[in-house]
Amino acid sequence: MTTVDLPLQGDDGAHDGARDDAAAGDLVCVPLVKWHFAFAVTFMITSMTAGFIVSLNFLGAYPFEDIRWLSYGRLRLVHTNEIAYGFLVNAFVGALYYAIPRLTGRRVASHGLGWVIFGVWQLLVLATTVGQLLGYGQAVEWGETPTGFRPGSWELVYLPVDFLIEVGAVLLAIQFLTPIAKAMRKRMYVSLWYISAGIVWLILTYVMGNTLPEWTLAGASGAATVGLFIHDLVGLFVTPMGWGLMYFFVPIILRRPIWSHALSVIGFWALAFFYPLNGVHHFLLSSIPMSVQYGAIISTMAVEIVVTTVVVNFFATMWGRGDALRTNMPIRWFYTGMVFYFITCLQCFFHTTLAVQEIIHFTDWVPGHAHLVMLGVFAFWCIGIMTWLWPRLTGNEWYSRRLHHWQYWLTMLGLFIMFVDLLAAGVMHGAMFKALVPWMDIVESLEPYWQVRTFSGGMILAGTLLFAWNLFMTAITPKPYDYRVDIVSEAA
Amino acid sequence: MDRMSSIILVAGLGCFAFAFVLSGVYPWAITDAKVPTATIAELAQDVPVEFKELKDAYPVSFSERYARAGEVHTARELTLQPELTPGDDAWRDNYAQALREGRDLYISEVCWHCHSQYVRPVANEAQRFGPVQLADHDNNELQRPQLWGTRRVGPDLTHEGRRRSNDWHVAHFWNPDDVSPGSVMPRYPWLFRQGWQVRRRIDPAKADRARLPADRSYPYPGLWSSKAEAEAALEDIRANLPSSLAADAERLFVAESSGPTGEALSLIAYLQWLGTWTPPHLEEDA
Repeated sequence: MTTVDLPLQGDDGAHDGARDDAAAGDLVCVPLVKWHFAFAVTFMITSMTAGFIVSLNFLGAYPFEDIRWLSYGRLRLVHTNEIAYGFLVNAFVGALYYAIPRLTGRRVASHGLGWVIFGVWQLLVLATTVGQLLGYGQAVEWGETPTGFRPGSWELVYLPVDFLIEVGAVLLAIQFLTPIAKAMRKRMYVSLWYISAGIVWLILTYVMGNTLPEWTLAGASGAATVGLFIHDLVGLFVTPMGWGLMYFFVPIILRRPIWSHALSVIGFWALAFFYPLNGVHHFLLSSIPMSVQYGAIISTMAVEIVVTTVVVNFFATMWGRGDALRTNMPIRWFYTGMVFYFITCLQCFFHTTLAVQEIIHFTDWVPGHAHLVMLGVFAFWCIGIMTWLWPRLTGNEWYSRRLHHWQYWLTMLGLFIMFVDLLAAGVMHGAMFKALVPWMDIVESLEPYWQVRTFSGGMILAGTLLFAWNLFMTAITPKPYDYRVDIVSEAA
Repeated sequence: MDRMSSIILVAGLGCFAFAFVLSGVYPWAITDAKVPTATIAELAQDVPVEFKELKDAYPVSFSERYARAGEVHTARELTLQPELTPGDDAWRDNYAQALREGRDLYISEVCWHCHSQYVRPVANEAQRFGPVQLADHDNNELQRPQLWGTRRVGPDLTHEGRRRSNDWHVAHFWNPDDVSPGSVMPRYPWLFRQGWQVRRRIDPAKADRARLPADRSYPYPGLWSSKAEAEAALEDIRANLPSSLAADAERLFVAESSGPTGEALSLIAYLQWLGTWTPPHLEEDA
């Protein structure tokens, strides 16, 4: 494969300074990036707070027992949907506003349109939260954003959020595909493959998941489509955006090209082919035809091979620069995320087998796995990107490096404790279930695990609050940022 | 392989469409496409006694909720007033309304996040919950959107219908811990309304014999929104007491209480329906 001109990529370090930022300055709309990040972190905190409160229900200490709109079930939707649509989308879009002009050498379609999308998107996330609290959540996992219609009918009862999100996704496609299309006479760098395909996949996935199971396909057929939606949203939007941005930021920060473009090609095309075929593995051992279930199982195992090529590529890129894990916080976030990514995908390889599925499905194992993916991988990558960009966007040196280390260790250890805890709880639940232990005895046995979950959730929330405080103080504390020094642990 | 057109057309559209056909269209084509999806009206053809009992037990909430509540009469009412007609058509309409609203509430309160609705052929699930769920049983309008769920914080509800009494469900929504100690299910106080009830204090002599507290009282069906309505109901009951119970007339009184809302009745009707429907083409096997 020919290597592609990647702006700001090279070995000499000269690119990574004020000179290049000035050159790219009129390409990137810095306030857009900043405000998307600010809202991403805001929603991250509200989502995690909701998750923390929800976990208290299991300790018999739920604070809003008598308030319908803050009830356990509804607040749980806020936890997952704000992370997906409030935090992840904002963080990705913010990073794309920075990365795409630099990758293509062109502005996005319109900065004005950017502000419109920005404003509308925050309102949509808010409308999603309000709608869910009022009881208009849709019964599609990860797609509980209100359709606005009464389930399965055409009677409009609330703002049609789903439709507006779809419009938003199309606008995002116009915004980001325009500069990519203008630069298309060139061969595209791997980041742009992931990003442009990911945007198209988002549009298709979202339409499919929010219409078919709701109005046309019932029961088993609906479940097959919902499985496809759950998986495609993570696998065909979040994952490509995440890897696309990793392919951009890691070489820049490490100041060396990606190790193998051949592996990037394999990684991308295998993802594009196998990932969408995984959907049905969310409903294994169900009444969906077994041939379809086996297809999903084999594709899921194939994805593990894809993942291995990509992870190998990134670790080979870092070969000989292991010190960066110690000295460079963004790299530490990125590679911690990659280790977790490898663990989650290795898990998938085994989960998807029917023997393991029998025990772990329906248990806490699955939320444990989901937390490692959404927080440990994609949120960690977004945090890493923000960590690298924030001083460059604000022109201010980090308010406190010490806080940043506290954030890393609290979040990372909190997540790891939660992961191990929920895995253990899941195996125990599944084994007791199979042994026909009475239901309430299982619940009672899970109690200590739920206590640990709340504790570890508190650690994660505390770490994230430190992050928000650090970002805010950095933005308002003038302290000129030296472009030649990355965030380094000892330099505090 | 690395130009925009191939990325968007082959990866973006092509791979997506291929997977959609294989894991979306194909399973539909070989299963649900062969039998028309049953409508809620079809599901509501046989009105179960559990739904009719809701009218006996909670007549006020029932009449306020259902469009044709005035046209239907329960077995108990027909015994007392043989000149009435049961109103079978109206029963079906009310039941269809209850099923739909109950399902909507099941979604709205996000019950489906903690309760699954499919029994797998492994892990002794059939012993715990009942027969393994077939695709045909889910090919109905109440499963659109599908409510299989992916987590069991609480037990599977595929065969929940007719397993427990309506009263059990009412008590359970009021406080799950009362009926299944140790439960982590939240309370649902908003499924209850305040009102006025007619109650009858126990005969002191009988209370003494049964070692019950002398102030023990039992409610008559009906939870009225105002005290005046409850008092009118009390007069009505008093006027119609059979001579054998004449002594009870003095022990009737009106008290504040709470009971399930019409919305709660729909949810209970939906839960009592779960697993009771057999698709017509499977009825011979069943």
